[in-house]
Amino acid sequence: MNFKHKFVFLLPGLIVLIGILIFPIIFTVRLSLSGWNSFNPELDFVGIKNYIRLFTDDPRFWESFFRLSFLAVTTVFLQYIIGFALAHMVWKDIKFKRFFRVLFLIPMMTTPVIMTVIWRTFFHESLGPLNDFLSIFGVQPQWLSSPGLAKISIIIVEVWQWTSFMFLLMLAGLLSLPKEPFLAAAIDGASPFKKFMYVTFPLMAPISIGAIIIRLIEASKIMDTVFVLTSGGPGTATETSSFYIFIKGLREFQMGYAATMSFTYLIIMIISLTIIAKVLTKVLMKE
Amino acid sequence: MPKLYTFIKYFCVILWSCFVIAPFLWAISTSFKDFNSVTGGATYIPWLQFEPTLDGWSVLFKPGSQGGINIIGPYFNSIFVTFTASLISIALGTLSAYALSRYTFKAGFVQNNDITFFFISQRIMPPVVLAIPFFLFLSTLGLLDSLAGLILVYIVLLMPIAVWIMVDFFNRVPKEIDETALIDGCNPFQAFFKVVLPNSIPGMIVAGLFCIIFGWIDFFFAFILTFTNVQLLPVKIVALNSSITPWWSLSAAALVSVAPLIVVAFVVERFLSKGNLSGALK
Amino acid sequence: MSLNLGNIVFKPKEQYHLNDISLNFEPGKMYTILGRTLSGKTTLLKTIAGLLSPDSGNIQFEGKDFLAIPVWQRNVAMVYQQFINYPHLNVKQNIEFPLKQRKIDPQLIEKEVSDAIQKVGLKGFEERKIQELSGGQQQRVALARSLAKKAKILLLDEPLVNLDYKLREGLREEFKKLFIGSEASQSIFIYASTDPLEAMQLNGDIIVIDEGKILQTGSAKEVFENPANAKVAEITNDPAMNLNKGKIENNKLILNNDIQFNLPSDLQSMPSGDYLVGVRATDLYLDDQGFDFQVDISEISGSETFLHLHNQDVKCIATIEGVKSYEVDEHVKINLDLSKIYLFKESGELHYSPYQN
Repeated sequence: MNFKHKFVFLLPGLIVLIGILIFPIIFTVRLSLSGWNSFNPELDFVGIKNYIRLFTDDPRFWESFFRLSFLAVTTVFLQYIIGFALAHMVWKDIKFKRFFRVLFLIPMMTTPVIMTVIWRTFFHESLGPLNDFLSIFGVQPQWLSSPGLAKISIIIVEVWQWTSFMFLLMLAGLLSLPKEPFLAAAIDGASPFKKFMYVTFPLMAPISIGAIIIRLIEASKIMDTVFVLTSGGPGTATETSSFYIFIKGLREFQMGYAATMSFTYLIIMIISLTIIAKVLTKVLMKE
Repeated sequence: MPKLYTFIKYFCVILWSCFVIAPFLWAISTSFKDFNSVTGGATYIPWLQFEPTLDGWSVLFKPGSQGGINIIGPYFNSIFVTFTASLISIALGTLSAYALSRYTFKAGFVQNNDITFFFISQRIMPPVVLAIPFFLFLSTLGLLDSLAGLILVYIVLLMPIAVWIMVDFFNRVPKEIDETALIDGCNPFQAFFKVVLPNSIPGMIVAGLFCIIFGWIDFFFAFILTFTNVQLLPVKIVALNSSITPWWSLSAAALVSVAPLIVVAFVVERFLSKGNLSGALK
Repeated sequence: MSLNLGNIVFKPKEQYHLNDISLNFEPGKMYTILGRTLSGKTTLLKTIAGLLSPDSGNIQFEGKDFLAIPVWQRNVAMVYQQFINYPHLNVKQNIEFPLKQRKIDPQLIEKEVSDAIQKVGLKGFEERKIQELSGGQQQRVALARSLAKKAKILLLDEPLVNLDYKLREGLREEFKKLFIGSEASQSIFIYASTDPLEAMQLNGDIIVIDEGKILQTGSAKEVFENPANAKVAEITNDPAMNLNKGKIENNKLILNNDIQFNLPSDLQSMPSGDYLVGVRATDLYLDDQGFDFQVDISEISGSETFLHLHNQDVKCIATIEGVKSYEVDEHVKINLDLSKIYLFKESGELHYSPYQN
């Protein structure tokens, strides 16, 4: 079917989106070609000097990128495993099913920043409950002031916050599965383990891929947690790309360079996420 | 074997439940403390380990002039911005999603899937990338530090979600229903509004829920794009996180601000159990 | 007023769905479009309805250029294979819908709707929700909605194919009765089907379509008795007509070493040469004096048995009365009714039919 009316349907949303977006995008690109900083707040033209600097003289950016990848992949991986496991457990045959389901959904409904503020008090090294509890075992880990543990703190908070989202997607997926394969498996006398490996998991493959990709997209933007919990620290231990760009742009006011980093970051993310999506689809679909 | 599995199941579920509840319990407890109770070391149970006070809570409702932290204003701002942006996003997003689901578009090499991808890829944009340009964009329009400006920005964040969910949903409503409406005398617009839309309510509710959730929890854009006139909840609370952090009022404020969405959790769970969500999310 | 299609071509993505179709539909008549799956039936119906636009060609209805009129202004009605109704409305609202859309006087609507409900036998179901109805009932609602519209062109796309056997038979009879109503109202009734039996039962004019091309048009009797070519013979019979290469030589009809017989009287005047010999599965029968065949498959369907047989390179299917079981590779003796033989030229065109005068 093809009627002229189709444009009236599509265009309002598209135009609004492009309209609000187009200025920022073009501006970012233009800004990236300028040398705007706090000493020189002008939109001059320096060509690709910023880009050259980014690719040859700024290891901090690439380190932040590496850190981001590590954090994103780790948290999504954990969230997937735990989320899937939880969804599977409250899928059926469990008491207080609805209570647990609501409970497990709550974290994603909370504002990350706000919860992180609470986590900050939680992780407090001398006054927080965590270290208070661990002091029984004689350890007082430096959750927020040691590089390694700071990363782990971020991971813990992210996992707390977003596993809930994975849980939602997985549970929705499980609830939508057809009954027949499971009946067949029961008739064949399959053990719960076999049932999972050969029926549940393969059937959930497309949903798993979708969920992982969505979470990866969101996780790659990790900002709130870092901002509140560690401010990128200690040092640059938890500095993700977003945070570094933020510092350069809105703390040091090197807007031009920040724009360069932003644009590069965007392109890299789009390319890598598209590739990851395609690869995951191939891999998980084959099984 | 089954018994062991059941045991493990309950164990894990309860363990995770504790993990989920932990920060809330801590916050609740902390909200009743005062300066001494906090700095003396970690304390948990009121009356046993410290003297509870209502300071943390009462200060929330006092206006700033009396040394209070007003969160009522930001509360309503957040609600207003989130709802308006969600409504507009769903309205525009559903229309576009319908077009993408039913019709074929071709402009050179750009096809339906590319356009859908374009919509959805907006989610890939890290807030940072957009923050500075939006800052300048809004200031040019004179919309900085305004509700309208923020709503505009939120539309960019939320429309992709609406489109993503609705395209999928429409793909699963049989085209033949549209066709029958056309044959019965409806032009494409009437077909959409009279026939397809009434049957899309579940999908739109799901889209709505997600828009509200992702709109409510935004921090970054509100942080960058508003200062004094308009303050949103997350920003307000983080602002409390200054040098001398009043843990008690912080905890109280935090609890109050996350409460509403807990209601949403109930709604979502109900939807899940009724099977509507599952269909829409696939 | 008649509906004329001229040289309709529909070729999405370089594949012909409709290949130069020209047809004439007269008002007050029932037409059956008979073809296999993917032959273009649905495409044809949708083109007439206006849901698809042909790449070239023209359609005239009542003397006007139909193609210039968008779907929603054409006065057609369509019933689909899948039971399509408006899920959010109850039975009565479903049937009212097109009438309300055209802003017809409410009193008139009441009358038309209750008429239609009466005709399809759904009296008392007005307030029911669609989801509560069975398949047959849902399809009847769809039918009622089409009837209430009093459309000039009524299109049905294999409407009974998703219903069970008994229901199909019953509804088919109802269709014929309803058609007589439309005869009076001068509508054009177009019914698409893959089932030759159904086409015969409906007994309208048959349009045989295959791979987007019209192979033959004519009355049911005509098309059945005198298929224009071998392809038509296949499509209009279920099981398909048996076609095997054969020779006429020395007053004999020879299929292979084993199977040869003297030409029956009607065929005596046929010139010698190579032909495609056709005989229906129902015109083969078990006969101890017959030819020897080996069983490939034995299928039971209803109260008949279909035997798939071969004798060297001659293959055929025979319909045997009753439910019998045969082993694979079992030998049976088959004979044929010589008065029912068809001869097709090697190119497929009909050369001789037992019914031609």
